[in-house]
Amino acid sequence: MKRQLWFAAAAISLAGLTACASAAAKVGTALVPLPTTPLATSLVTAQGGWATMVMGGSAASEDNFWQLFVRPAGTSTWSLVTPPGVADNGGLVTAGSATSLLVGFRPSQDLAFSPLASSGDAGKKWATGLLNASLASVPDALSIGAGGQELAVTSNGTVDLGSASGSWSTLTTLKALAASAPGRECGLQDVTAVSFWSDGSYVVAGSCARPGVAGVFRDTDGTWEAAGPELPAAYAGRRVQVLRLSGTAALLQAGPDLLATWLNGTQWSQPQVLAGTAQASGFGPGDATAWVLLGGGRAATIINGSSQGWTELPRVPAGTAVLAAPGPGSVARAHALPAGGNRPPGPPGSWEALAASGSRLTVWTLEGASWIHGEVINVPIQYGSSS
Amino acid sequence: MPGMNSGLDPSDPTIVAAFRSALLHQGGIALAIVVFLLLLWATARTWRTAAPAAPGAPAAREVPARRLLRIGFGLIWILDGLLQAQPKMAAGLPSLVIAPTAASSPAWVQHLVNWGGTIWSYHPIQAGAASVWIQIGIGAWLLVAVRGPWSRLAGAASVSWGLIVWVFGEAFGGIFTQGLSFLSGAPGAVLIYVVAGALIAMPETAWRSPRLGRLLLGGIGLFFIGMAVLQAWPGRGFWQGGKNGSLAGMIGQMASTAQPHYLHLIVSGAESFSAAHGWGVNLLAVIVLAALGVLFLSGRRSLIRYAVWFGVFFCLADWLLVQDLGFLGGVGTDPNSMIPMILLFGAGYLALAPEKAEAGAAGAEDAAGTEGAAGTDGISGSRWRWAPGPPRLGALRDRLASASAQSLAITSAIVVLLIGAAPMAAAAANRTADPIIAEAISGDSALIDSPAPDFTLTDQNSHAVTMASLHGKVILLTFLDPVCTTDCPIIGAEFKEAGVLLGSADPDVELVAIAANPVYYSIADDRAFDTEAGLTTVPNWRYLTGSLPQLEKLWNQYGVDVENLPAGAMAAHNDIAIVISKDGQIIQELSADPGPATTSTQSSYSVLLADDARQALAGS
Repeated sequence: MKRQLWFAAAAISLAGLTACASAAAKVGTALVPLPTTPLATSLVTAQGGWATMVMGGSAASEDNFWQLFVRPAGTSTWSLVTPPGVADNGGLVTAGSATSLLVGFRPSQDLAFSPLASSGDAGKKWATGLLNASLASVPDALSIGAGGQELAVTSNGTVDLGSASGSWSTLTTLKALAASAPGRECGLQDVTAVSFWSDGSYVVAGSCARPGVAGVFRDTDGTWEAAGPELPAAYAGRRVQVLRLSGTAALLQAGPDLLATWLNGTQWSQPQVLAGTAQASGFGPGDATAWVLLGGGRAATIINGSSQGWTELPRVPAGTAVLAAPGPGSVARAHALPAGGNRPPGPPGSWEALAASGSRLTVWTLEGASWIHGEVINVPIQYGSSS
Repeated sequence: MPGMNSGLDPSDPTIVAAFRSALLHQGGIALAIVVFLLLLWATARTWRTAAPAAPGAPAAREVPARRLLRIGFGLIWILDGLLQAQPKMAAGLPSLVIAPTAASSPAWVQHLVNWGGTIWSYHPIQAGAASVWIQIGIGAWLLVAVRGPWSRLAGAASVSWGLIVWVFGEAFGGIFTQGLSFLSGAPGAVLIYVVAGALIAMPETAWRSPRLGRLLLGGIGLFFIGMAVLQAWPGRGFWQGGKNGSLAGMIGQMASTAQPHYLHLIVSGAESFSAAHGWGVNLLAVIVLAALGVLFLSGRRSLIRYAVWFGVFFCLADWLLVQDLGFLGGVGTDPNSMIPMILLFGAGYLALAPEKAEAGAAGAEDAAGTEGAAGTDGISGSRWRWAPGPPRLGALRDRLASASAQSLAITSAIVVLLIGAAPMAAAAANRTADPIIAEAISGDSALIDSPAPDFTLTDQNSHAVTMASLHGKVILLTFLDPVCTTDCPIIGAEFKEAGVLLGSADPDVELVAIAANPVYYSIADDRAFDTEAGLTTVPNWRYLTGSLPQLEKLWNQYGVDVENLPAGAMAAHNDIAIVISKDGQIIQELSADPGPATTSTQSSYSVLLADDARQALAGS
């Protein structure tokens, strides 16, 4: 009996120790999160071409500073015009209108709201503003309407409407939008972009849990209605994320494919498909062109209405963070196109690749099938200033 | 574990100096009390009226097993106490010792350990000094209290403090981590102290039969077999060779800690050997652990004798080759688990045969009921005694005079322990951090006596504010960038907390900030900052701004450099806090740089600001 007790005690002890040694892993069944849309982008306004990208160190996020560059209309050189006064380690979000560029600072570290800056003279002077909330980390988190109204997406999915006087009010929330009829239909998960359409209506886009549905919603007299493009049947089983949204164009990620579509009047064009995942994207003048960087040096452009669809560019130089479309008044290089060469789609001028290495920006210009080394800008990054 | 790290350099000279000062101070108090007791005792013996008690029966001897535990662990506690006095301990123990130990534990363990670590990092001086005196006190108590209830109480004290150290200092000895191994110290050295303390606290009758020894060795045997199973368990990496193997990794971790060069060479050699022969080394460890377990469980004294010698050799080898002796790196808190384990199974072996040696003496003890001639004072005796009666000075004197030297030594040890425990208890009850932390970061403050430059600015509620309108109140003034990403929100929160700490004095203190950004300085910016820092509900908080020329003039007058930096950097400005008296005189300027901005440094700054404001109020 005594011996049996000893064995029982030993067995219990061993079982306890074994339990300590083994760990059970729980397998989650939640919806797989979609990749976040990179903030680096470029856009073209009447003032010129703009590009935002991260530069600086890679050791710590506090040494990664976002920069804004401008290539003023009618010139071929880029300048550093990052708005002063705020540490921008959290990222810059830009939105253009006919008369100005609006820049929002994503909060970082202990800053909890988003200061704003706007310029009407290609970044020479900046006026300040404020969004008393945190801008979402998506490139289309800000938009400017024709009347000076502004839309902003915050980190919690709220869409704020800003007046020309600088005051903000809530237009809708993720919860409210998801509870609306089109929101329920899509199973809205998040808000990834805002825009104004040509008729002045507010448009909000996001990711749908329901496969095959592009989550684009338009506010019509206070009621939200589905306004997204219909996708080909091949995408019926794939979740769709609206990566970019402008007044007339949308870039979608549907599974492993990128889809570009334009709103012509009230109808979306047939989506043009490109295999790959966007690492950066942007629009050209009037949103008529779009570009994407796909990683591994792959880049592609597309123009609205082109029968060619997506055109892959020659492999971009190492460190390329954004492409810049030829803009209004861009100086087209006479020798840009070799005889018989395929010219990338878009307006006259040359596509440029902006490559960052630490604090050094190198501008490469596409000439024929080659990227030609051009302008170099050394950015005076204040390493350690945000730590 | 946010509260675990004060963010201070463990060798910070201010903290080290304050720690030394606290140790000397408390040591001096303890010495003074002991000397006082000694003098009192000597005086009482000189002037006593009653005749000295006649010598009693010869004292029963303590059983060797108990003596081994008591003296062994007494010495170890004293060594641990001395190790706690190392200069880096006050500021470094939570971040250098506790946090790494708890890092691989489950979240609930980390949460619990963080609670204790936060108390330490908020009060590094008190906690560091308390650990020294408590452990030296327990060690001395174990050494001098040979037998009787006070000796058993010393064992209980060892259990109590040991459990605190085991839970909060060793994160349960790592028993909830994946890499649990006897070789690296599981289940925690201090848990062995706890077991030893519990054995010392047992009634002496328990030691008079071999049953206690058999139970102890049986328990140790089961433990060794369990550890062998864990060591052999597939998938835990111990069978794997190479640098990535658990065994080599474990030893490599030990080798990477600060230690004497010769020791580093030895442990590195063991690491290389384990990496090259991981499977074989683990097989040996499993066999040895299992064999020790079986031998200890056998209950045969002849076999156990071999197991003891075998175990001593194995533990000493592991202590040197794997555990790197445990205490020579500057932040070692104890000699790790092998020496305590040797003491424990050694005591178990000795306890197997207590009868022959101790039977006679035990009988003598029962007959006498005391311990020696001096055991009539109720402290050194073997039984509690309480003789209530009217407190008469003469009786008290005689009672004191009859105390033994051992009683005096026990009292002294308890005094030492209490000298450490009392400030520790007070610190644990105080939810705000010691201002020494802020002083260590900001350095000495400058004492000034000059008029505060006047201004007319606008507060966050669009009300005009002048310096003259604030006369009659003490002002805590700082300069903050409303869109700052690092220091300013923290300084704002520290000001808010300082207001809370000032309590009833709060209405007499104005917490004032002036905007310090040449681009973002609007009232809307200030309001957004207030919301962010939780300052909107603080009644005496004023965030002032004005036109850029007004602000630039003030920055210049108060010696604040504000600069716009290019390329996405925030506006630069120096962090200062200025104390202005009720009559508008600047009386103190201190750095408000929040440093590492941990919870303890923030709390510490708040206390420092509140203290400075109180001093200004008192001096007005």
